Amino acid sequence: MFSVKPLKPTFKSYLPPVQADATSHPQPTINKLEAKLLAGEIVVNEANFVRKCIGADSGHGDLWGKLICTNFKISFITQETLRQQKFQYVNQLLGVHDIPLACVGQVVAVNGTKGKRKVLRSNQKLKFSPTELLVHCKDFRIVRFRFDEAGPESAKKVCLAIAHYAQPSDPQLLFGFEYVGERPHGPHGPSGDQANGVDPGAARGRPPSLSAHLPEYFVVPASLADSDLKQFSGFFTAQRLPLWCWNHQNGSALVRMASIRDPAQHRKLDQRICNAVTMSHPKRGDVLKADLDRSLPSIQDVQAAFVRLRQICVIEPFEESEEKWLSSMESCRWLEYVRAFLKQSAEVVYMLEGEQASVILQEDEGRDLSCVVSSLVQLILDAHFRSLTGFQSLVQKEWVMAGHRFLDRCNHLKKSSKEESPLFLLFLDCVWQLMDQYPSAFQFTDTYLTVLSDSMWIPVFSTFLFNCPRQRAEHSRDFAQMWDWSQQFTLKDQALFNSPLYVGKSASCVQKGAVKTFRCTKKNYSSTLRAGPSLKTQPREAPEGPSDRFSRAWFSRPADPRGLLLPQLLPSHLRLWRLYFLRWVAEAQIPRGGPVAALHKLSLLAGEIETLRGQLLLRQHHQGAAPRRLGPRHPAAPRAPRDPLAPEYVTSSFPFSPVGPNLCRRGVLDTPLSKFLGGGGKVWLSTETIATETI
Amino acid sequence: MIERVLEQEEVITQVLAADNKINRHLVPTWHIDVLKSVDKALSPLLEFTDALSVQNTKKIRNRRLNRCFRASRESLKMEPLADVPLLPGEERVIDKDIIYMCPFSGALKGKVFITNYRLFFKSADMDPAVTLNVPLGAINRVEKMGGASSRGENSYGLDITCKDVRNLRFALKQEGHSRRDIFEILFRYAFPLSHGLPLFAFLSQEKFEENGWNSYSPMQEFRRQGLPNDKWRITFLNQSYELCDTYPTILMVPYKATEEDLRKVATFRSRCRIPVLSWIHPDNLAAITRCSQPLVGMSGKRNKDDERYLDIIRETNGTTSKLTIFDARPNVNAVANKATGGGYEGDDAYQNAELVFLDIHNIHVMRESLKKLKDIVYPNVEESHWLSSLESTHWLEHIKLVLSGAIQVADKISSGNSVVVHCSDGWDRTAQLTSLAMLMLDSYYRTLRGFQVLLEKEWISFGHKFASRIGHGDKNHADADRSPIFVQFIDCVWQMTKQFPTAFEFNEHLLVTVLDHLYSCRYGTFLYNCESVRDANEVRTKTISLWSLINSDQTSYINPFYAAESSRVLYPVASMRHLELWVTYYIRWNPRIRQQQQSPVEQRYKELLALRDQYLKKLEELQLSDSTPHLANSTAPSSASPTQRVTHLHTPF
Repeated sequence: MFSVKPLKPTFKSYLPPVQADATSHPQPTINKLEAKLLAGEIVVNEANFVRKCIGADSGHGDLWGKLICTNFKISFITQETLRQQKFQYVNQLLGVHDIPLACVGQVVAVNGTKGKRKVLRSNQKLKFSPTELLVHCKDFRIVRFRFDEAGPESAKKVCLAIAHYAQPSDPQLLFGFEYVGERPHGPHGPSGDQANGVDPGAARGRPPSLSAHLPEYFVVPASLADSDLKQFSGFFTAQRLPLWCWNHQNGSALVRMASIRDPAQHRKLDQRICNAVTMSHPKRGDVLKADLDRSLPSIQDVQAAFVRLRQICVIEPFEESEEKWLSSMESCRWLEYVRAFLKQSAEVVYMLEGEQASVILQEDEGRDLSCVVSSLVQLILDAHFRSLTGFQSLVQKEWVMAGHRFLDRCNHLKKSSKEESPLFLLFLDCVWQLMDQYPSAFQFTDTYLTVLSDSMWIPVFSTFLFNCPRQRAEHSRDFAQMWDWSQQFTLKDQALFNSPLYVGKSASCVQKGAVKTFRCTKKNYSSTLRAGPSLKTQPREAPEGPSDRFSRAWFSRPADPRGLLLPQLLPSHLRLWRLYFLRWVAEAQIPRGGPVAALHKLSLLAGEIETLRGQLLLRQHHQGAAPRRLGPRHPAAPRAPRDPLAPEYVTSSFPFSPVGPNLCRRGVLDTPLSKFLGGGGKVWLSTETIATETI
Repeated sequence: MIERVLEQEEVITQVLAADNKINRHLVPTWHIDVLKSVDKALSPLLEFTDALSVQNTKKIRNRRLNRCFRASRESLKMEPLADVPLLPGEERVIDKDIIYMCPFSGALKGKVFITNYRLFFKSADMDPAVTLNVPLGAINRVEKMGGASSRGENSYGLDITCKDVRNLRFALKQEGHSRRDIFEILFRYAFPLSHGLPLFAFLSQEKFEENGWNSYSPMQEFRRQGLPNDKWRITFLNQSYELCDTYPTILMVPYKATEEDLRKVATFRSRCRIPVLSWIHPDNLAAITRCSQPLVGMSGKRNKDDERYLDIIRETNGTTSKLTIFDARPNVNAVANKATGGGYEGDDAYQNAELVFLDIHNIHVMRESLKKLKDIVYPNVEESHWLSSLESTHWLEHIKLVLSGAIQVADKISSGNSVVVHCSDGWDRTAQLTSLAMLMLDSYYRTLRGFQVLLEKEWISFGHKFASRIGHGDKNHADADRSPIFVQFIDCVWQMTKQFPTAFEFNEHLLVTVLDHLYSCRYGTFLYNCESVRDANEVRTKTISLWSLINSDQTSYINPFYAAESSRVLYPVASMRHLELWVTYYIRWNPRIRQQQQSPVEQRYKELLALRDQYLKKLEELQLSDSTPHLANSTAPSSASPTQRVTHLHTPF
């Protein structure tokens, strides 16, 4: 399958100026390298003597190895280890250099000498021999392989195989169906699909089989009988009946609902539902509707923003894009959309908390934008969802069980890019913004959010693989659940999910804090917004509305990380989620810097406290028995050197490290910076590549 | 009329004087009544001050008037400001009912208090009350808004522009020239130097445990750097500012250069600011030297002494490679400076040197940039096109250029090459570059005390023109010499602290405090343009140093995450991907954001530290109670300090 013949002389000339150590590496042992396969995984194609590009153009530091395409991943196997790579955050299902096929966004074959370049699709032909393969990943990585010394045929074959297998046409071709790995868990999520513990009192469970896209059990207002539901369901888009999400202690409820298709029925049905929701309110509070389709960007808008964001972050050359970085960020509109979703959620929160009104989130099918808004609203109002288990149950409840179309939105089948939209990532970005503003309120870290997003691209788990619970149930009775993190990460690596800043949650605090805040401010609110049926964001120069006053009053008081957390919505206070979007960009890394340096110190302290707590408990247990045994040094604690400094491998991208450059390489002479460096030119020395660049 | 008023004045003065003698313990309500009557009596007086000055009785009457003011002021002094205690030496001047035109909450009725140090406003009927506490030094400009006949509600009043990125508007009743007195008092006390009054720093009676003037001693700092050595010596040539009136008295120069050489070099450098040492690398002995531009001029003059002097500097650490001259300016600006007699080191004249232009723009560009920034953040943050508006201010771009310039300096030094840094005069961009490079290279400057030394040395002693750039107590708000160069530098430091949260001993609060007192005129630290003027005004004896305040209670300025690293060179990433607008400084007045005294992460860390100490204490107690029935001295826990006993649990790192 692969050629081990000596190279034809014609290929020699294609080589760029080769550095001594780059050529000295091809080892005969490459042939013997074997792919590590999961159960059910098979090798489709492979090529030897492939170079994975690490350094800049020079080829300095590149790795030699074998490129393998399986039915699950693109694997690169090498015996060499990366320089300066002392820490590896490895997904146990994947090797260091592996890319799951589901993560592949685009496969580009390049022939450097002929200047040819082709984006490969499934079942396509390639008329030139590729010298390079570029894999654009959905997680913002761009990986580059060179075939200088691999045979042209085997290079072509492996490229085509990758292109083909990365774009399956049928869900059955997704690797999850072949995977016969650990399946210790049933399809049921961790308590997620049930109500979140708050008993709405006026709501109850309903039997299924109304809509194919609804979960098996869901909660509706008690005043609606089953017969009503059956009758109504046909009038809603995709037969999606209203779903109860969450209740405030004051009785106001958050409900999500699809739009009513039949115009003839619209008014009547709408009235009926609203009345039913009002009936469920202990104080018969008002019902307000938020028309998400009108107030928020569409899924296509979000996708377009995402594509542009990726362009700016990883595809455009680093230095050249510096000058216009801010305006490019603006014109890609990603942050604007993040802000729009947060703002909409804050408005809904004001309605629930300040106005004590129930809110119905209305959206055409009620399974895209409303997933984002309903989960954000709950995250802002309820500290339970800011814990790890709480957050997982929130995702399970508002996304997975509520039928967010992961299969289509992730475009796992690469069928229609119209349906593709990174709404879940957008949601995680919104969560990150909240976390950035209130770091001690969340039990999890942004590393957690990042790997959660990455898990979408590992089609072993059913969680993010299907469009609705029914499809999931039909296809995957014994698929693995993603929430069992031990399948992907060791316990030690999972420790990075826990934020050392977290203050914990206490239910009583939530209630007291929340109820107090709105009560004392209640009288200030006019009823202007009650009249308007839909919540629309207010124009900027408008006089301060009641919700503005609500948030201003809230901001003037100290925040309780266990209570209500309103996002700061000024555009100046929303930031790019650098860990996610820039983690693979070598030039953007701050060596031994970034927020993680402080977190590192914090986690050391948290460790100390944990040890002391253990000692204390142990002591209290054995009090009086044998005090000497419990000397100052706890036996369980390793004798780590007391080095408070962040280790060398900690960078602003920690725990990820860019393996290989993105396309945006730092050139020395062709940058705008060099212009002002005068004739000398070589003066500019990058900060982090000082070690690798030889100047 | 005038006569009658003056008669009244006599009486009031007498009443008040008697008042002060006898009734020191007056009930406040009564007191306020007195003040109100004084106020009432004085307001017509003020109306006639102009008329009075024309008269030949001017002198006498003015004296009477002043006496009257003083008397009223003394009685005002007795009542503290609404919430804030007065500083020792601070005196109340006037109170007035006023409407604060809050850009966020609308018109707020309340009372304004003006002292010789601050303007304080408290709203009457808001809960929580809206307050303003503005040091008068932060005021850039006071304007009258609207006239006696202007229509519309609240259109008559005062418009105050501040140096700390905010504007204040007050409205008054249109009747009876009600704003004249407050305008004149504000104008007088906000710009004391323009009115022959002393700056508040000279009136302050604050007392601190530590004398901050001792925080920097040039000799001690040179000794810390291992100087003088066999290549560098101290010269006292500038002892009485003969060589250069904007330099400090003690200078570090190459050992080989004679005093005569220095004098000759001085003739060829703008304002005689010759290249002198700022910092030396402890291992490779590469030195950062700073100076002003050479006086090359249109004709391309050369000076053999200057050329030789730079070559001596190059040789000091024994390297054979070229000396790098960093000219902070853009190339074109350097060329343009030839027209005014300046210029840059030409290739042919300085053969052992390479010249690098760093493209940093001049003070006027920076001033305009910050002005634009202010426009988009105050009072409202530009919402619809925030990022492109931010980009069009170029503020972050300038930050980037300054930082990357400093990175290049630090990088050259690290690799063993000495550098010379200059711009035009060597007191703006040069100070930014040398101090930032030193901050990157030397961890000492990243400590709280080291940072003070850095500011005292590179900025204050080397004559950054604080008085001209900030315009302390000066009414000429449009002065072209004003520029936020120092603010920009502090912003760069903040960017570094953001990128390396554990590398600095001080926190953001220190940086904000430094900037607040850059304007406040409460401390002498940032007053005047250079050492010689500071000496002439006896700043060290007559005012208090800002470092007295800081060092007497350091806790709130300490970064709890600090981890000392002696030999690490910090290279921040000078990329727009990491540079951020310092919102907690520039947007701190906006009520739509959370006002945080402390970053939540810092706060949490301190909580955890307290928790740890609590556990340690409990453990210790338990151990004590356990060990008493056994051998008393077997496991005396007190012998081991808490920190020694702490062991580490594994962490994911």
